[in-house]
Amino acid sequence: MSTTPTLPADTQDEPAPAVPERKPPARDRYFDLLRAVALFRVVFYHLMGWAWLPVVFPSMGVMFALAGNLMARSLKRPALQVVRGRLRRLLPPLWLLGAIGVTGMLLQGWGPGSDGHPGWWWLHLTFWILPLSEPSAPETMPGVHGFLGEDWAAQLAVPLWYVRAYLWYVLLSPLLRKALRALPWPTILAPIALTGALSWGWISMPSERIDSAVLDFATFGACWLLGMAHHEGVLKRLPRYVVPSVAPAVAAVGLWYALHHGFRTGHDLDDIPFGQALWSFATVLLLLHLSPTWTEWPRRLRRWDRLITLLNSRAVTIYLWHNVCIVVAAMLWDRLWGFPVLETHFSWLLESSWPVLVVVWILVAGCVVCFGWAEDLAARRRPRLWPDGSKRQSGRAGTHRA
Amino acid sequence: MASRTNRRTARKTRRTGGSTAARRRRLPLRHLLPLLLLLALAAMLMLRGYVHSEILADHRIRPETTADHVPEKILEGGPVIDTRGPKATTLDVPDHRIVLTFDDGPDPTWTPKVLDVLRKHHAHGVFFITGTMASRHPDLVRRMAAEGHEIGLHTFNHPDLSLQTRKRIDWELSQNQMALAGAVGIRSSLFRPPYSSTASALDDHTWPVTRYVGSRGYITVLTTDDSEDWRKPGVQEIVHNSTPKNGKGAIVLMHDSGGDRHQTVQALDRLLPELKQRGYRFQNLTEALDAPSAHTEVTGPDLWKGKAWVFLVGASDTITDVLVVGLAVIGFLVLARFGLMLLLSGIHVRRTRRKGFTWGPDAPVTEPVSVLVPAYNEAKCIENTVRSLMRSEHPIEVLVIDDGSADGTARIVEDLDLPNVRVVRQLNAGKPAALNRGIANARHDLIVMMDGDTVFEPATVRELVQPFADPRVGAVAGNAKVGNKDTLIGAWQHIEYVMGFNLDRRLYDVLRCMPTIPGAVGAFRRSALDRVGGMSDDTLAEDTDITMAIHRDGWRVVYAEKARAWTEAPESVQQLWSQRYRWSYGTMQAIWKHRRALVERGPSGRFGRVGLPLVALFMIVAPLLAPLFDVFLFYGLVFGPTGKTIAAWFGVLGIQAACAAYAFVLDRERLTPLISLPLQQLLYRQLMYVVLLQSWITALTGGRLRWQKLRRKGQVAAPPGETPASRQAGKQAVDQGAAR
Repeated sequence: MSTTPTLPADTQDEPAPAVPERKPPARDRYFDLLRAVALFRVVFYHLMGWAWLPVVFPSMGVMFALAGNLMARSLKRPALQVVRGRLRRLLPPLWLLGAIGVTGMLLQGWGPGSDGHPGWWWLHLTFWILPLSEPSAPETMPGVHGFLGEDWAAQLAVPLWYVRAYLWYVLLSPLLRKALRALPWPTILAPIALTGALSWGWISMPSERIDSAVLDFATFGACWLLGMAHHEGVLKRLPRYVVPSVAPAVAAVGLWYALHHGFRTGHDLDDIPFGQALWSFATVLLLLHLSPTWTEWPRRLRRWDRLITLLNSRAVTIYLWHNVCIVVAAMLWDRLWGFPVLETHFSWLLESSWPVLVVVWILVAGCVVCFGWAEDLAARRRPRLWPDGSKRQSGRAGTHRA
Repeated sequence: MASRTNRRTARKTRRTGGSTAARRRRLPLRHLLPLLLLLALAAMLMLRGYVHSEILADHRIRPETTADHVPEKILEGGPVIDTRGPKATTLDVPDHRIVLTFDDGPDPTWTPKVLDVLRKHHAHGVFFITGTMASRHPDLVRRMAAEGHEIGLHTFNHPDLSLQTRKRIDWELSQNQMALAGAVGIRSSLFRPPYSSTASALDDHTWPVTRYVGSRGYITVLTTDDSEDWRKPGVQEIVHNSTPKNGKGAIVLMHDSGGDRHQTVQALDRLLPELKQRGYRFQNLTEALDAPSAHTEVTGPDLWKGKAWVFLVGASDTITDVLVVGLAVIGFLVLARFGLMLLLSGIHVRRTRRKGFTWGPDAPVTEPVSVLVPAYNEAKCIENTVRSLMRSEHPIEVLVIDDGSADGTARIVEDLDLPNVRVVRQLNAGKPAALNRGIANARHDLIVMMDGDTVFEPATVRELVQPFADPRVGAVAGNAKVGNKDTLIGAWQHIEYVMGFNLDRRLYDVLRCMPTIPGAVGAFRRSALDRVGGMSDDTLAEDTDITMAIHRDGWRVVYAEKARAWTEAPESVQQLWSQRYRWSYGTMQAIWKHRRALVERGPSGRFGRVGLPLVALFMIVAPLLAPLFDVFLFYGLVFGPTGKTIAAWFGVLGIQAACAAYAFVLDRERLTPLISLPLQQLLYRQLMYVVLLQSWITALTGGRLRWQKLRRKGQVAAPPGETPASRQAGKQAVDQGAAR
C-alpha cells in the first residue's frame, strides 16, 4: 500500500467565472500547507521507507480528509454534476500515465496471455480507464538496462490504489453526506469499526481485489468523513475541549495496537490497517480541530508560497509519477558505482539515499513539465508549464485557483 | 484546589509591573532551582537503574560456534590463560589444590554466608565480582579482600562480551575496576568472562575476546569443574560436581549471587572438611600457582574517582529509597484524602439535603443584604455583574467600589442608573482596601462579597445568607462555577472547581476548618468582620487570611452549595499561572501569619491544631510530593516494568475519575467534561505543582523579608474604611512579589 496525494480534483474549483463580480472564496492556505507537506512526505517515505514517517505525519489520512472537505463543499450543487466534475478532473492524468505506462508494458511483452485467462486481462485493463478496482501491471518486465529496473511496471502501479479509493469515496459521497447529516458520529466511526471487523476476520470478502478495496475504503473512510464533517460543522458543535481530550487517547490506542502487531521497518502502519485507521483518524481530528483558516500566509511561511502552490496545482501529476522517478533515480545513482574513484573514496555518498532524493525531485520536476498539462486539460484550463502562482502567469492562475 | 476565582490583582500586577531589573535578576533562579533539582533527581534515578541493571543491560547470549581458530594447545590446556604476550600460554592448578571461584557477587544475603563458611574452614577463594554489585555493596568487597580472598573482574553488568564492541569491553573492564578501586582501593589483573566455562569450550567468538582482554593486561581465569549450583541440583550433586578426580588440582565454579544460594553454602560446608581430609588445600589463585598477588594498590585520581563512584551509587540508592517512601506517603495521602472526601462530603450532603433542614433558629433569613462589588478595570464584565444582581430574589443594596479603574468602570455602572446601586470611588489601593471601604459604606449587617467579573443567579444571594440563621455562623462560602468551560483549559478548571467545591469544601465544612471563602461568592456577618479588623493586605490571599481570622475568633464558616456564582476562569496558561501563584503563595503567607493559632487556646487553638495542619498538608506539602508520581511514571514507562506502571497509572486515574464523577453528580453537572480528565493528569497537574514549587522558592529565597515587613504592617491593622493611600506602597510590594 502506499500513500496519497491530492488530486487536482481536490483543488478548489469553485466556478469563479460564472459569477465574475463576486469575489471567489479565499483559499485556505492551512489546507494547502497540509497538502504540500503530505505530498512531500509521501515521496520522502517511498524513497526512504522509514516506518516512523507515516507516524509523524499520516499523509494519506490528511489527504483524504482534505479531499472529503472539498467534496462536501462542492456538494451544494447537484450531486450528479459534482461527481461527474470530480471524475472529469481525476481521470485524464491517470489516462496519460496509462497511455505511456501500458504502452511500455505492451512493448515489453505484456499481453492477454500473462494474466491467466485473457478475459481477466482485458477486464483488468479497463481499470486503467475507470479504476473501480486497482489497475493491474505485471510484476516483472525486462526493463531498460541501467535506466529502468525490472519492477518498473509494478512500481508504476503502486500509487494507483489511491485513485481507486478516491473514486469510490467520490461516488459514494452523496450517500455519505446523507448519513453524516442523519447520524454524524456513528457515520464517522463506522469505517473504523469496519476496519476492525476486516482486520480480525469477522467479515471476509470473496476476492482479494474486493478485500483490498473495501479495506482501504474503511481504513481512511473516517478521515474522508471527518473532512466532510468539518465542512458540515459537525466538529464545531462539540465543546472545544472534546477533541484535544479524545484524540490523543485514540492515537495512543492506535499506536499501542500497531506496536503489538509487529510495527517495524517494512511492516509499518500501512500494513496494520486498524492501527493506521485510528492513528490517522486521531491526527486528522487534531489537525482539523486546530484548523486556523489562513486566507493569507503567516509571515514565516510566506517564502514557501510558490513551492506550496506548485505542489498543490500539480499534486496528481507528482503523485502518479513519483514512484517511477524513484525507480529511475535509484538506477541512475547506482551507475555511479561504475566509477572506481567514486567507489573507493566516496562509497558513503553512493550508499546514501539523500542525493537520490535530490535526483528524484529533479525528475519529478521534469514530469511536472512534461505531463502536468493533463491536469489543466482536465480542469478545462489553458495548459501551463510551471504553475507556481508567480506574477508572470497570474492573469489566469488567479481565477483557476480561486 | 479550586477554591477561589481569579482576583483582580492579577491584572494589577501587570500594571504595577515594578522593578523589571530586580525581576530579571531573579528570573534564572526560579527556573534554575527546580530544573537542577529535577536533573539531579533524574541522574540519581538513572544511576540507580543502571547499577540495578534496569538500564543498558544486555541479556543476549551468543550460541556456541566452531572452534577452528582457537589454538589446539589452548583448547586442551589449563584453565588459566595468559594472552598478555604475543604467545598465549596456559597454566594448570597443581595437584591437591583447589581454587574455589564465586561469580556474579557480591550479594547482600549470600556472600556473607559464603564468606562465613570459608572463614570457618580457613579456606581462601576467588570472587569474580560484577561492577554493578560491587558498587552497591562495597563493604562486602572490602571484607573479601580483608579475609585473604582474591578478587577478579566479571565485567560491569554481565553482558556476553563476544557480542560487544571493543570499546564496550574496555568500558566494562574499566568501570569494574573503578568500582573495585572505590570499594577496596585495589586493582585486579584476574578476569573471568561472563557465560564462560572450561578452556575446551572456547570458540571462534569467545577466543578473540580472550585475546583482546589479555592484550589489556588481564589473565583470563576459566574453570575445570562446574558445580552447576545455579541449577540448584541439591547439596549432594554440588559436592559431587565440585570434587576433582584423582587428586588433581581444580578451579571450581560456584555462584554467590543471582538467586537462592543456600545449597551452595551447605555444599561448601560439607565439601571443605571432606576434601581437606583427603589432603586438599583451598587457596586463592595466586597462592595455588605460587605467583605474586593479582592485586595492586590504586592511588591518586583513580582511587578518588572510584570512591566518588561508590559514594554516588550509595547516595542514589538512598535517594531512591527516600523517593519510594515519599511516593508511598503521597500515595497514601492522596487515597486517604479521597476516602475522607467521599465520606465527609457524603455526611455533609445527608445533613444539608435532609427534608426539613434549617440552618438555625432564625430561619429563614430575610433581612436585607449589602452586596460589595470591588472592581478594577472591569468595563467588559461589570454591566453583566450588576444586572445579574438586579434579578436577585433577596432584598439587596449593591455597592460597586471602583478601585481607581482607568477604563471607566464606575461611569458604566452610574450610567446604568439602577435603583439600589451605589458607586464608591477610590484611588487605586488594592482589593482589601476597596472591600474595607465597601464595608464602611454598607448599610446592612449581612455583607456579600463578589468579584467584578462574576455573575449571580437570582437565588444566589438568598441561598448564600441562609446559613446566618445560625447565630454562630460568621461567614459563608458559596459555590463558584466556571462559566467559560468550553476550552480545554476551561474544562480542566471546571473539573477542579466542581471537585474543590463539592468535595473539599464539604470536607472542610464538616471538619470546621474551611480555609477560604472564595472572593467570587462569599458572605460575612458585619460583627465578625469588625471583630477581626476587616480585610487586611498582609497577604496575597486576603480571602484566606480573613477566613482564618474569623475561624480563630470562634465563628463557624460553612458552605452553601446552592449559592452558585458563575465566574470567568483564566483562558491562557500565563494568566492561570499568575493566578495560581498568588493563591498558593498567599495561602502560605496566611498559614504563616496565623501560625500562632497552633499553640493558642479555645476556638483559635482548635482551628490551629486541626485546620492549619490539614490545609498545610493538602495544599502545600502534598502537591510538593506530587511530582514523584510523574518521576516514577516516566521511569517506569521507559525502563520498565511498563505494563505495571501503566496499570498503576490507570488505577489512580480511575479513583480520580470516580471522585470527580461523584462531585459532578452532587453538583448536578453533565459528566462530559470528565473526558478531559486523563489529559488533565498529564498536563494540568504538573503546571499546578510547578507553580507551587515556585511559591516555595519565593518563600525560601526572597519571600521571608517581605513577610516580616508585612507582618509589621499587619499589626497596625487598619480599621475598615481607612483611606489606604499610605498603604499603597505596601500593596505594590506584595504585587511585585507576585510578579516575581
